[in-house]
Amino acid sequence: MQIFLPIADVPVDLFVLLILGAAVGFLSGVFGIGGGFLMTPLLIFLGIPAAVAVATEANQIAASSFSGVLAHLKRRAVDFKMGNILVVGGLLGSAVGVEVFRIVKSYGQIDLFVSLCYILFLGSIGTLMFLESLSTIQRSRKSVNTFNHKKKHNWIHGLPFKTRFKSSNLYISAIPPVVIGFIIGILASIMGVGGGFILIPAMIYILGMPTKVVIGTSLYQITFITAFTTFMHATQNKTVDLLLALILIVGGVLGAQLGARVTVKLKAEEIRILLAIIVLLVCLKLALDLMMTPNDLFSITYSNES
Amino acid sequence: MRALIFSVIFIFSMSSFSLGAVISDIDKTDIELSTRFDGTSLLVFGALSPENDNTSLLVEVIGPSTSVDITKKVQIWGIWVNKKIAQFQDIPSFYKISISNPEHPILKEIEYQKLKSIFYDFLETNSTPEDDNGVEQYYHELTRLKKKLGKLSIFEEKINIIDKKLFSYKVTLPKKIHPGKYKIKMTLIDQQGIELSKSEQSVKVSKVGVQEFLSSNSKNNPVFYGLFSVIIALFLGFSAAQLFRWLYR
Repeated sequence: MQIFLPIADVPVDLFVLLILGAAVGFLSGVFGIGGGFLMTPLLIFLGIPAAVAVATEANQIAASSFSGVLAHLKRRAVDFKMGNILVVGGLLGSAVGVEVFRIVKSYGQIDLFVSLCYILFLGSIGTLMFLESLSTIQRSRKSVNTFNHKKKHNWIHGLPFKTRFKSSNLYISAIPPVVIGFIIGILASIMGVGGGFILIPAMIYILGMPTKVVIGTSLYQITFITAFTTFMHATQNKTVDLLLALILIVGGVLGAQLGARVTVKLKAEEIRILLAIIVLLVCLKLALDLMMTPNDLFSITYSNES
Repeated sequence: MRALIFSVIFIFSMSSFSLGAVISDIDKTDIELSTRFDGTSLLVFGALSPENDNTSLLVEVIGPSTSVDITKKVQIWGIWVNKKIAQFQDIPSFYKISISNPEHPILKEIEYQKLKSIFYDFLETNSTPEDDNGVEQYYHELTRLKKKLGKLSIFEEKINIIDKKLFSYKVTLPKKIHPGKYKIKMTLIDQQGIELSKSEQSVKVSKVGVQEFLSSNSKNNPVFYGLFSVIIALFLGFSAAQLFRWLYR
């Protein structure tokens, strides 16, 4: 069934969108990821303008992360103080990101910009994840366990503005969480991702937060940042397609519930390697689209509509 | 519908009118762009009183104006980048022209004059054309791309003429069209292209329902639209959490 998206200004098939939303939701349920970094490129592949894909995806993530954080609130698995500091950095980052987005869009190069950001991020993260899981698998074959996540004193502990985070049982500077939050804000506004794939490792390895509050706190921050980013994109760039977001939210919720209830008989590192392969494939497709000679060198755009 | 059309045509054809005249009507005056809009067609019909056998009927369909950028992909460091090469200010987003007599002696000239007065005169370039064809290249790309999108057709569609007196013409509109006023101009011309008589109809194309609510608020009330989008998303997130908590109790 074909429907016309009012802001993206393109006709799309409703069922294709629902299935896409459900498929990405399913993967996010299985892998425990947000899925924004898969959904935004897939929307672009469907012919939705990159600017609309990014802003709308931020809107979808606001829904899914809010739904997620509610469960963690019940279990008291959110460090509010840490979350709020991350949010402060995130709001700043998002405001900066949306402004950069607006400027690049006014030059008519937003599609290229979003693609390049994705290639850079998916390329490096996919490769890192792939190599790391590969070496973990090799290590486990030799049955030598070299894992060592002992808390160390590092440069983080030398920074000023130290504050106590009770829920995380930490006494560290407020600067690193602000900076991390800022980076997540930029990522959310430019790429339409929640940024969990950066935020969670950063919370564990840089801030040294205990695993039990990491997911809840990251969802707490992501809810605020994506909601703010949606609002900023709507007011600055007018690129949020609410109809598209609604379809993706419905598809995504169903898919994620299904995905979370499927027992995957795979080891953690095997799951990660699968995920890395998906990430690299999306990256490859984006790169090929930029490098292959287009069918038609010329195109027309309606300039007074944007 | 058919009966209505033919009775209208019958009444029109009965009435007497001066030499070389055209009168017309249209089967709808409003087109609603809903979320399910998948293109449509409309029927223009009417009666002619040709002065002699040498008159021809021109039908033009002219959509609302927009500005159009022509971009060309250029390769920079192995990557294809869009480069804006020309702009046409306020040209019709949709244009169709048809003629009852495709053998008209000055058809090519009419075509050029029409395209010039509608499209070519509104070219604004900021770059000097690199191609030997100069600005002709921009004209060519504009018409080629518009034709490809189904938004331009020049003497491709047939006007049905019955008994040299009645005509009907079906206009198909693609699924992606601009809202606004669409004018349909009927002109009776002679062999030299001189106008003998004119008649004009118009159709209002407007967004309706969800389509209208979202696109107008996004444009005109962005603060409301932004808050609304966020609230809807949070509400749906909350509902989903409640729903599944209840389901898996």
